[in-house]
Amino acid sequence: MSAKAPPTHAARNAAYYCLAIAATLFFAFPVYWMATSSLKSDTDISTYPPIWTFKPTFHSFAQLFSELDALDALINSAVIVGISTCLAMISGTLAAYALARFDIKNKNFIAFEVLSIRMLPPMVSVIPLFMIAKALGIFDTPWLLIAVYTLNGLPFVVWVMRVFIQEIPQSIEEAALIDGCSRFECFWRVTLPLLLPGLAATMVIIFMFSWNEYLLASILTSAEAKTLPVIAANAIKPKAISWGLASAAGVLMSLPVVVLVLLMQKYLVRGLTLGAVKG
Amino acid sequence: MGIQVRNVFKRFGSFTAVNGVSIDIADGEFFVMLGPSGCGKTTTLRMIAGLELPTEGEIHINGRDVTYEEPRNRDIAMAFQDYGLYPHMSVYQNIEFPLKIRRIDEGERRKKIHETAEKLGIADYLQRKPGQISGGQRQRVSLARALVRNPRVFLMDEPLSNLDAKLRATMRTEIKKLVTSLGITTVYVTHDQIEAMSMADRIAVMRKGDMVQVASPLEIYDRPRTAFVADFIGSPPMNLFAATVAANRDIVCGVQTFADSLKGKDREGLGEVADKNAGFQIGIRPEHLQIVKPTAKGAARAIVDFVEPLGQTTNVYVSVAGQKFVIVTDKTDARIGDEVGVQPQDGKVRAVSNNRN
Repeated sequence: MSAKAPPTHAARNAAYYCLAIAATLFFAFPVYWMATSSLKSDTDISTYPPIWTFKPTFHSFAQLFSELDALDALINSAVIVGISTCLAMISGTLAAYALARFDIKNKNFIAFEVLSIRMLPPMVSVIPLFMIAKALGIFDTPWLLIAVYTLNGLPFVVWVMRVFIQEIPQSIEEAALIDGCSRFECFWRVTLPLLLPGLAATMVIIFMFSWNEYLLASILTSAEAKTLPVIAANAIKPKAISWGLASAAGVLMSLPVVVLVLLMQKYLVRGLTLGAVKG
Repeated sequence: MGIQVRNVFKRFGSFTAVNGVSIDIADGEFFVMLGPSGCGKTTTLRMIAGLELPTEGEIHINGRDVTYEEPRNRDIAMAFQDYGLYPHMSVYQNIEFPLKIRRIDEGERRKKIHETAEKLGIADYLQRKPGQISGGQRQRVSLARALVRNPRVFLMDEPLSNLDAKLRATMRTEIKKLVTSLGITTVYVTHDQIEAMSMADRIAVMRKGDMVQVASPLEIYDRPRTAFVADFIGSPPMNLFAATVAANRDIVCGVQTFADSLKGKDREGLGEVADKNAGFQIGIRPEHLQIVKPTAKGAARAIVDFVEPLGQTTNVYVSVAGQKFVIVTDKTDARIGDEVGVQPQDGKVRAVSNNRN
């Protein structure tokens, strides 16, 4: 019996690359298909077998803006998600700091309480929210969704940022306190810069939560405060699904997220892997 | 002036970390708190720094009551075990930070930073980040950051324990020289008795939240007040022999000749040391025992258990009637199993309290 030769690195690396390419294709193909579909004419989309070359047209995008008021929805989405993300990040990070650093009675219970908001299925809170909003006169205004998304994002921010803050050695903050900082200065000048990767990662995630949120947005708005996911769903018409329109809405919705991730990429990779390796 | 700690307690729930500590540290003194981990030395230091608030008691720095004052208002500087450098700032920015916070103008800042960096030998690394320099250099940066604003009080929390032995020895001398030349009141926390002995003007030995003995290094070494101090300081530690006072006021001890050698001041002070409840022991440093002929007058007859030559000195482990102890001597031709005579040097026998405090 001849001894088997150990597999060479070349073979192993080739296998890894094949796997990586396969995985990339698997995840990238739907995106590719959506992007191309948004640029196809209605006839090209419905052709079977599917065609790979076609003459691009912005017809679906034009329809999206003219028929479905995509511009209003885009502005609504940007305002609502932008403000709610900022609010959740600011208050969540401050709360996380307090929970991570200060001696607070029943700290763990409080942290658990904050998390419990997320244990509630959104469907359960929708009717009460609707009634409260009606009573307050904020139904179908951006304020309602801003409040709802802020509350939704908050527990995630508190829990994730708490861990990031705990990973910063306490002696760094103590050094700052002794060097002459007040608590807030210490947070602002020393802790916050060190938290940037974590903040970026958390922000991207809660931004995506809110940006893509459909259920609450569809019930808590009717005309004025509609967001992008709601109008994207309108592409599904009673008679047939308008694939071109749906794809165009999909592209429009994905773009800001892609841009955001690209902008944050530098921090994101560090943020998502922080703590995995001791520095 | 200096630092006064008055009857300070720190409790965490039902656990008492610091149990009524009082110290009076003179202006410009180098004061070391020494003890095993968990003895409350770091907590005491952190209360002086204002990073921890006492449950009870008062702390005064330079004549001002700062018990509940914020750290920044205490005119103190501190060096941490893990250096506590700001990782996102360069060495220069790290040293600059306390000056910047205190709004000292830029020209002045630059001058002071360069002066301090020069003094600590880190002028070449000013543009690097803390992650790009070695542990010893990081500790120098942390010292520079502490010293750059001429604090009245310098607190150090085991600053050398993350360094290797050789570097520790050099840094030890350097720190001592530096703070002495600057005349800064220093409180230094360590569990390393060599650091304490070599650097301190006075040492406070702590155990389980209590200050067991506060005295000069030589006093602590020479006349440990309790068995704990005797055992904690010195390597090998002091030999201790259980003893009692008989009805006729004679001392009865496992190795009687040692008890009989307790003389003069140590004998007279016995009343203070020998707490009725706790009892006391006879203590002799290993290097104060000498090997003599078994037949010598006043010598205890001992059997050699083990001989450990260390080059400069030799540790000889012996036993007398089951009582084991160690002798440090220059050189010896004693072998395992030999019978030797052991005699304490004159005036070197001590009475040591068994009291916890």
